[in-house]
Amino acid sequence: MKIIESSKIKEKAYIEKLENGLNIIIIPKPHTKKKYVIWGTHFGSIDNRFIMPKTREEVFIPDGVAHFLEHKMFEQPNGTNSLDTLMALGIDANAYTTNDHTAYLFECTEHFEEGLDELMNYVQHPYFTDENVEKEKGIIGQEIKMYDDDPGWQLYMNALDCMYKENPIKIDIAGTIESINKINPDILYKCYNTFYHPSNMTMVVCGNFEPQKLLEKIKKYLEPKENQGDIKRIYTSKEEKINKSEKIVQMEVSTPIFMMGYKDVENNQESKVKKHIAIEIILNMLIGKSSKLYKELYEEGLLVTQPDFDYEFNTQYAHILISGTTKNPKKVVEKITQKAELMKQKDLCKEEFERARKKLYGDYVIEYNSVANIARMFLADSMKQINSFDYIEEFDTVTKEYTQNILKEVFKKENQILSIVEPNK
Amino acid sequence: MNYQKQEIKQGITLHEIYTQKYKTNLSAIFLATPLKKENVTLNALLTAVLRRGSKNIPSQDLISQKLEMMYGASFDCGVEKTGDNHIIKFYLETLSEEFLPSSEDILKEAIEILTDIVFNPLIEENSFKKEYVEGEKQNLKQIIQAKIDNKAKYAYDRCIEEMFKNKPYGLYKYGYIEDLEKITPEQLYNYYKDLINNCKIDIFYSGTVNKDKLKEIIEKNENIQKLDSRKPEYVINNETTELVEQKEPKIVNESMQILQGKLVLGLNINETAENSRFMASVYNAILGGGANSKLFQNVREKQSLAYTASSRYIRAKNCIFINCGIEIQNYEKALNTIKEQLEDIKNENFTQQDIDNSKELILASVEAITEEQDTEITYYYGQELADRFVSLEEYMNKIKTVTKEQVVNLAQTVNINTIYFLKD
Repeated sequence: MKIIESSKIKEKAYIEKLENGLNIIIIPKPHTKKKYVIWGTHFGSIDNRFIMPKTREEVFIPDGVAHFLEHKMFEQPNGTNSLDTLMALGIDANAYTTNDHTAYLFECTEHFEEGLDELMNYVQHPYFTDENVEKEKGIIGQEIKMYDDDPGWQLYMNALDCMYKENPIKIDIAGTIESINKINPDILYKCYNTFYHPSNMTMVVCGNFEPQKLLEKIKKYLEPKENQGDIKRIYTSKEEKINKSEKIVQMEVSTPIFMMGYKDVENNQESKVKKHIAIEIILNMLIGKSSKLYKELYEEGLLVTQPDFDYEFNTQYAHILISGTTKNPKKVVEKITQKAELMKQKDLCKEEFERARKKLYGDYVIEYNSVANIARMFLADSMKQINSFDYIEEFDTVTKEYTQNILKEVFKKENQILSIVEPNK
Repeated sequence: MNYQKQEIKQGITLHEIYTQKYKTNLSAIFLATPLKKENVTLNALLTAVLRRGSKNIPSQDLISQKLEMMYGASFDCGVEKTGDNHIIKFYLETLSEEFLPSSEDILKEAIEILTDIVFNPLIEENSFKKEYVEGEKQNLKQIIQAKIDNKAKYAYDRCIEEMFKNKPYGLYKYGYIEDLEKITPEQLYNYYKDLINNCKIDIFYSGTVNKDKLKEIIEKNENIQKLDSRKPEYVINNETTELVEQKEPKIVNESMQILQGKLVLGLNINETAENSRFMASVYNAILGGGANSKLFQNVREKQSLAYTASSRYIRAKNCIFINCGIEIQNYEKALNTIKEQLEDIKNENFTQQDIDNSKELILASVEAITEEQDTEITYYYGQELADRFVSLEEYMNKIKTVTKEQVVNLAQTVNINTIYFLKD
């Protein structure tokens, strides 16, 4: 196995790419009792149009299929449900779907091997029938309605709607009541057969393991599968401009919430990690807990807690999001925009830059406190062809000058959007 | 065992947890005081004002700057209800020294900052800084109003309020706007002095630093030195102390502009035998603990009525809450299905397998307590407040010995107290 190491945080990762294409990452954690495994396929809500490698058939699927498939994977032909089987062993099992991947996971302290056997068994054996697909529509329908009532989620979806015109990232991961109604076993099998091939999957395991031994066990539970060629994914064309600058809706909330964003071009370069670090430094300097602007807005009573911020990216999209709760969203957004413009005009303050760097370094190290965090981070990063240790290792290469350039390149006023959810009138 | 505690002074306890599992040191200070209507708002406001600055670091941004320079050390605080106590919690997390790029003694500094915020506040003319108090009153008002924002949480809070109407546990942890408006900076400071001199204080440390070093840091800390011993007033809650009188279920409906209905049932357990909580834990796991539970299987999987269907056991109040998100017109159907599950357990209509599965689930969650720093601290603090110390090992052993008969007997004492429904 290939070993990569981060000496700064004293962690190692063992990596192996099997002949069938499955990517395996094992991160040993000798002091923990908890074990965590996550098996992900590079299939998320944005992969809604593709060409099946074997039949060359082009498929265009309804919204919400990746997530629907995730729900249905647990059901087994013998009438059992793998979620129940795992839970009965005291294993906390779950699954989730994002824009770019679907993951099946569990954590446990005991019965790891039985759990691994069950996990690998159910992910390799789909069982979809008209009846079990129909039944799931009621459950997912309630999940969709739960999100419909969630102001934070609506705020985020509207921000994406402002940013993109056609990019499938703007589609709700769970789909809509109407779109999931179109889902049937045939669609699910087509997606399963295309995307749940080992060559499109990564497994990450974290806990007290001997990597080589664990690798042998994983191989034992893998079933032979014919090799398949590359999956051709058809995405919408690159969008240089934002879709619209603003979207405001009313919901049952006590105080307005806002999400402002800067649309970036996709982030798929060599230096994507470096760019990500620089953007996080900028965001901390701009509106982080110790920033002058946060102090000012807090003292004016315009912010009660510091805004959340994030840079989301993959090969198809990239954008910065800043969100918070405030009595006066327009004013807060104006102030943040002004400050960003001001920062672009002058050299970044050395002291603030250093402070943001130190804080960020601590944040990255703290990620390694929990096996669950580590495994999820390695999986999500691997979907973007990133090795998670790079955030620690490349840290020192992010200079003030580089950060300054990224600031000018990404925080463009013409690429700015604003989503607001305000109380019902 | 990696946990030990010692009384520094009467009413002030130091708890130490030594562990190699993390890359961080976590220090915490908890102040406990009985939940009272006249105090909840004061406690919530006080927490917010203390956070704004101490005598040595007089503003929030200076605190943040200092912490960020310590490689992203982070401070957090808040209020919680634990049984009939209102707990004010302060946390400070720092990287362990071995992961710092340079060698610095940040733990000592971190504990100084933490104790400074709690015990050495910024005082001007025998009062808290007026500007901070006024600002935080506005913020707290917004936080109290934000109660409606998360619908599932709102429905749960409302069910508790109705179930414990006019009782301490029914109070809202952030307090009340009508009380908030009346608070003055002087009054808040007087309240603080009284609180800090009389409340139960628990100081926690979790991390890798050696015992002697921690001892030295604590002993030399001036903020701790100047505290007096006290006979703290607080409420001991556990399964033996809580009994709710049984009556017909109280039915509460409330409307909001929403698409999904939230159904919450409050159940009381009328059993106060010592150790009945282990049976109650197993009962709760069978009812709504995980994917195998009766609620998940019947409300969600068999009838497709919900995405969320679960229950939780609140030991300190000897009660259970059931939560479901459902289609509004399915109220009757969902309620009947839930009632059937309660009857099923009473009538022994479940298997040994259900018990075994539930025990596995509980045992795994107990095992996981030591895998997260703040969870481990919270566990030991819960033991402290319940006045019953049970080690994790003993806890697991007691769960293992629970029998089907015990669960069925306990089920006979479970009654629906409140049915709360949030609809359109």
